[in-house]
Amino acid sequence: MKTSAKWLLRAAAVLALPGMFAGCASVKPWDRDLLADKRMQFNPCPMLHAIDEHIYFSKEASTGGQGVGGGGCGCN
Amino acid sequence: MESSPFKARRSFANAAIRAVRLISPLLLLLVLVLPAGSKTTRTAVATPAPNFKLPTQSGTVSLEELRGKVVLVDFWASWCGPCRRSFPWMSDVAEHNAANGFVVVAINLDKSRESADAFLRELSPSFIVAFDPAGKTAEAYNVATMPSSYLVGRDGRVVYSHAGFDARDTETLEKKIKETIAQ
Amino acid sequence: MQLEGGTGSSLRERLNKAALALLLVPAAAAAADLPATQIDTTTLYYGEQDRVQVVEPVVRATRLFGDGQILSVQLAVDLITGASPSGALPTGVPQTITSPSGKVSSTPAGAIPTTKFQDHRGGLDADWQTPIGKYFNSTLGMHASREKDYQSLGVTAKVSAEMFQRSLTVTAGGGYNWDSVFPVGGTPIGLSDGTEVTNGKNSKKVESFLFGVSRVMSRRWLLGLDASRTLERGYLTEPYKVISLVSFRSDSPIGQLTDNRPASRARSSLLASSVYHLDQDILYSSYRYYKDSWGIRSNTVDASYRHDLDDGWYLEPHARYYHQTAADFFTFGIVAGLAPPEYATSDYRLGQLTTMTLGLTFAFHVEDSPALWTVRADYIRQAGSGTAPENLGSASTFDLNPAINTISLVVGYSFNM
Repeated sequence: MKTSAKWLLRAAAVLALPGMFAGCASVKPWDRDLLADKRMQFNPCPMLHAIDEHIYFSKEASTGGQGVGGGGCGCN
Repeated sequence: MESSPFKARRSFANAAIRAVRLISPLLLLLVLVLPAGSKTTRTAVATPAPNFKLPTQSGTVSLEELRGKVVLVDFWASWCGPCRRSFPWMSDVAEHNAANGFVVVAINLDKSRESADAFLRELSPSFIVAFDPAGKTAEAYNVATMPSSYLVGRDGRVVYSHAGFDARDTETLEKKIKETIAQ
Repeated sequence: MQLEGGTGSSLRERLNKAALALLLVPAAAAAADLPATQIDTTTLYYGEQDRVQVVEPVVRATRLFGDGQILSVQLAVDLITGASPSGALPTGVPQTITSPSGKVSSTPAGAIPTTKFQDHRGGLDADWQTPIGKYFNSTLGMHASREKDYQSLGVTAKVSAEMFQRSLTVTAGGGYNWDSVFPVGGTPIGLSDGTEVTNGKNSKKVESFLFGVSRVMSRRWLLGLDASRTLERGYLTEPYKVISLVSFRSDSPIGQLTDNRPASRARSSLLASSVYHLDQDILYSSYRYYKDSWGIRSNTVDASYRHDLDDGWYLEPHARYYHQTAADFFTFGIVAGLAPPEYATSDYRLGQLTTMTLGLTFAFHVEDSPALWTVRADYIRQAGSGTAPENLGSASTFDLNPAINTISLVVGYSFNM
């Protein structure tokens, strides 16, 4: 990737971060019905996902990148 | 191209420095925002509990009309796991203290009445259930977690507020209820 | 092992993935009405056309404790057979190659030479997740695996914090792996004719860091951004791979040299993931950008659409597109007489390539049993796309980037105790 594009990507990532922090708590706790759905996770089937990672790691050069937990119903 | 241990160690040091540089400002931000995140509910104790008039399964309920009684106002929804666990306990505590002027009003925040009804059919609560699908009452009480409960004294003021529900919380809650009833 | 079957240090990855995966269960879901012990089994049948076949049964037990702690233990066995490209160039005549383990492979004229192999691997993973207070969660994980020529031991640790009424989750974590490579027949000297070997174990150490942020964007939309950095040091070469030595004096390769790669590799990746709730259905999508110090850059786009039917049954079609550029030292062949490079590889997995996947998952119950069956079928097509130079002799006339078609089938069975 060209250096300029690389810096653009980095800048975008840095700029996106405050955007993620700002304006939080905009979804009310009682509006979290859909988010409480067990399927609302980045990785709802960890074992199937692990198999995928295994296959693609073996056949390609790239590794890494992984979703993290988030959302939830605001319970407890 | 590097092959010596020197270069390997230096590239690792560079990477470590880069990682630290990336993470530390964000960690700092974390430290700054964390206190904001640790608040539970924002309806302060000793303030008058906001009034509400909501439909129930058989009519309506109004907090004003319950003045003189000790009321536990609870906010719940069918999709909330801890809410499910709180229902048997609330039925219990409502039955035991009914004679002393204690009432439980559980306000449902489901968007769909069907989901709430299915939940109620399963758990058959022995307390008042009210419906607030638009969430206006939850808004008035500044509900920040599901479930949230507010203990309202006989004078209409909030005595105690509690966020979430866990088996370990029941002792504290029961103590507060007994104290408020005795006043 | 990443060498022949290419599945070796993937177990280290699996450690990261599995450990990370556990942390993906939001504190809410973990505290909700989940059963005490859940058993998940999956069996993978993987078959590349004329190449590698893998059978991998995995069983995992997850136990939920009253205070929100989760312990998970997984056992996996990998059985790999088949043939994989040796890295040598095709010639106009049939070739016979003997692998370091003594297996003889014959390659027809014009085809990419492959070597036969067979291996089995066992792996053990364990993860322990603990909530800390109301808003923090930590996970510790360990991993151990062993096969004929590779051993891996690893640990991971991760912490996450939920903020702003659980609208924002921040996660930071790291992992360390101690790997050991001991090729069958000894370790050949890099970029040599392979006759001289050293005995003993070669070590490889891997450090990884992860930082992620996920945010509730709306009532139905979850967005996540993850950055990860991995540093590998030690023996990173493929001891069984070779590179053809060509000469302008001969049409066919005049010999071969062993693979040789740098002793360090720094990888970085940035992953953006999205989960969008459409009432009955859910759309999962992600984009990952990757680059490493070997000059490889890649882009991955992935999307799944989960359509739920009644009673926990569901259908989930899936598509993935992947493209990578070649490593700086990737070459189709080395020309004799010129100054030899310091590093070189003909391993197609470090060359320019594209992978496309189309798959479908179907989950269902049998009769009234609460146990869930999952069947997933994937069609994977991978092809190199690098342009071979013209100085390779007759090899330039053959297809150096054949498309590999693969079928992968996963059968899963989950139940609660």
